[in-house]
Order: sequence, then C-alpha cells, then structure tokens
Amino acid sequence: MKDSKSIPDESNEKWEVQLRKGSLELAILAALWPGRLYGLEILRHLEDNSDLVVVEGTIYPLLNRLRSAGLVETEWVESDSGHPRKYYSLTAAGRSRALEMSRTWTRFSASMNNLLQPLNGKARKEKP
Amino acid sequence: MTLSADSQRSIDTYLAALRKQLRDLMEEDVNDIVEEIRAHILDKTTDAANPEQVEQTLAALGTPAALASRYRTEELMKRAQTHRSGAQKALLAMQWIGTVVGGLVAFAVSVVGYCLGGGLVVLGVLKIVWPQGTGLWESHGPGDSWGLSFSSGSGNTPPPNSHDVLGWWLVPLGLVLGTALFYATYRFGAWMMRMLWRPRRWRYVPNEQQI
Repeated sequence: MKDSKSIPDESNEKWEVQLRKGSLELAILAALWPGRLYGLEILRHLEDNSDLVVVEGTIYPLLNRLRSAGLVETEWVESDSGHPRKYYSLTAAGRSRALEMSRTWTRFSASMNNLLQPLNGKARKEKP
Repeated sequence: MTLSADSQRSIDTYLAALRKQLRDLMEEDVNDIVEEIRAHILDKTTDAANPEQVEQTLAALGTPAALASRYRTEELMKRAQTHRSGAQKALLAMQWIGTVVGGLVAFAVSVVGYCLGGGLVVLGVLKIVWPQGTGLWESHGPGDSWGLSFSSGSGNTPPPNSHDVLGWWLVPLGLVLGTALFYATYRFGAWMMRMLWRPRRWRYVPNEQQI
C-alpha cells in the first residue's frame, strides 16, 4: 500500500524539479533587472525572494550559458574582501528577452490558473 | 582573512580537478570559470578559523566532475537552441536529401548485384544440366558482326556460328563469382542501411558519473 503511494510522490517531485529548472533562467534575468550582481548575490537573492531551491553548482554553469548566448555580460570587479568578483549585468538582448519571457510566463500562468480553478476549490475544501 | 593551509590545499585541489575536467572548453573560459568558483568559495568562507566551512562549500558545489559536466550540459543546451537556424536548416535538408538519394542508389545497386550474382550462379548450375546449350558464346554472324552472350535458352543445343569461350570453367566461375557477388551485395546493403539509418546524435555526451 505504501509502495503504490510513493510512486506518484516521486513523479511529482521530478515534475517540480523540471518546473524549477525551466523557470531558473527567467528568475536570474529578473534578479539582474535592477542592476549588476555577482554569482553568490544572485543565489542569495533567489533564496531570499523565492522558494526556488537553487543548487549552488547549477547557477554558475547556467550563468555561463547566458553569457555565451549574449543575454548577460560580465566584468571582474575588485572588492574589499581581497579577491575580485565576477559581476553579471543584462545586455540589451537580455533585457528584451527577459521582457518577452516575463510576458509569456504571465500569460501562461494566467491560463493555467484558469484551468486549475475547479481543482483549487476542491483542494481548499479538503484541507483540514 | 587567511585560510588554514589545509583549507587552502583542498580549495586548490578542487579547482585543479575542475580545470582538468573542463579541458575541452576554451582556455579563457576555463580561467574565468575557475576564478569565479574560487571567488565563490572564498565568499562563502566567512569564518576562516572553521575548516569545515570550506568542505561544506565544496560539497554544495558538487564534485569537480559533476560541476564540469553541468557546464558542458549548458553548453550543449546553447548549441541546441541555436541549432535550427539558417545554415543548420540547410544542412538538415541536405542530410535528408542525402539519405533519400543514398537509399535510391543502395536500392539500385542491390537489385543489379543480386540479379547478376543470382544469374551467374544459375548459369553455373545450368552448365551442369545442359552442357551443350549453356556457355559464354563468342558468335560470328554474317559479315563482321561479333558478340559475346550467355545463353541457356534453347535447351541443349549451342547457338549457331559460335563457340564456347569458357567451356566447363563456367561452372566454378559462375558459382564462385555469383556467390561472391551475392554476398558482396548483401554486405553493401547492410552497410548502407547502417550509414543511412544511423541516428545523428551529439558526439559528446556529458557523463555525470565520471570521477
């Protein structure tokens, strides 16, 4: 009985991982919207402002891809801590991409919420 | 902030391993990546006196192999995203045309090969059954006309005005050459199928498990 229950849990977890992965790129672009940040700042920003659980080893490779795709640019800046830090900022292409993704996201989540309305009512009723 | 010698050593070891794992990326990119990861580790190490902090930070990053493989996966994703544009589309179309043309050629060659091979074997056998009527005939018609032809058409009588070039040699030649041609055609067909139906994958598949 317990086994049959653990299967849907596991696939839900996988789905959630995919969902997070898919939204991480937009989350990073959004974090950089106000201004330049370095890797650890982006990580902390995401941790503080979202429930995206970001594995540290994930964000740097993703940032590297965004850079080589021309969406962000980098600069090394000396700091008080004794070592330079690599700062990321949006390029013009990155800004327009972020806007485009944001629009898509809003439209998509609105239509999903619309679809989920019947379920949400039920979920609320079933909650203790 | 000064790190203990041990912490410094484990950071250096980690970064050296990462650099080694990233060796197939461009060198300036590798330097950039390694320095950025170094900065990350140093930034996370707020308490220099606590050597466990460094170990935790390194563990959170994953093994050098796993981290390097993430960089490569992202690189592949970028390539996959830019894949379907312009030149790549043309290349895909060319590949498709190549497959179709290759298929037609393979089919034609196979038909000819099997027919010739089969025909030779049949001739070899017929030479045994009808020795007089089967052979490679060199014919001298009226005037200057001359020709070579295989025949086993009219039972056991040779065509007029001609003589058999090969004689009994037709039996081993027909059987051996025919079988060889048949087999060669089969191998060619199999090879063409492998070439044409081969899935075109990325050569490079990142491996999370490698250490």
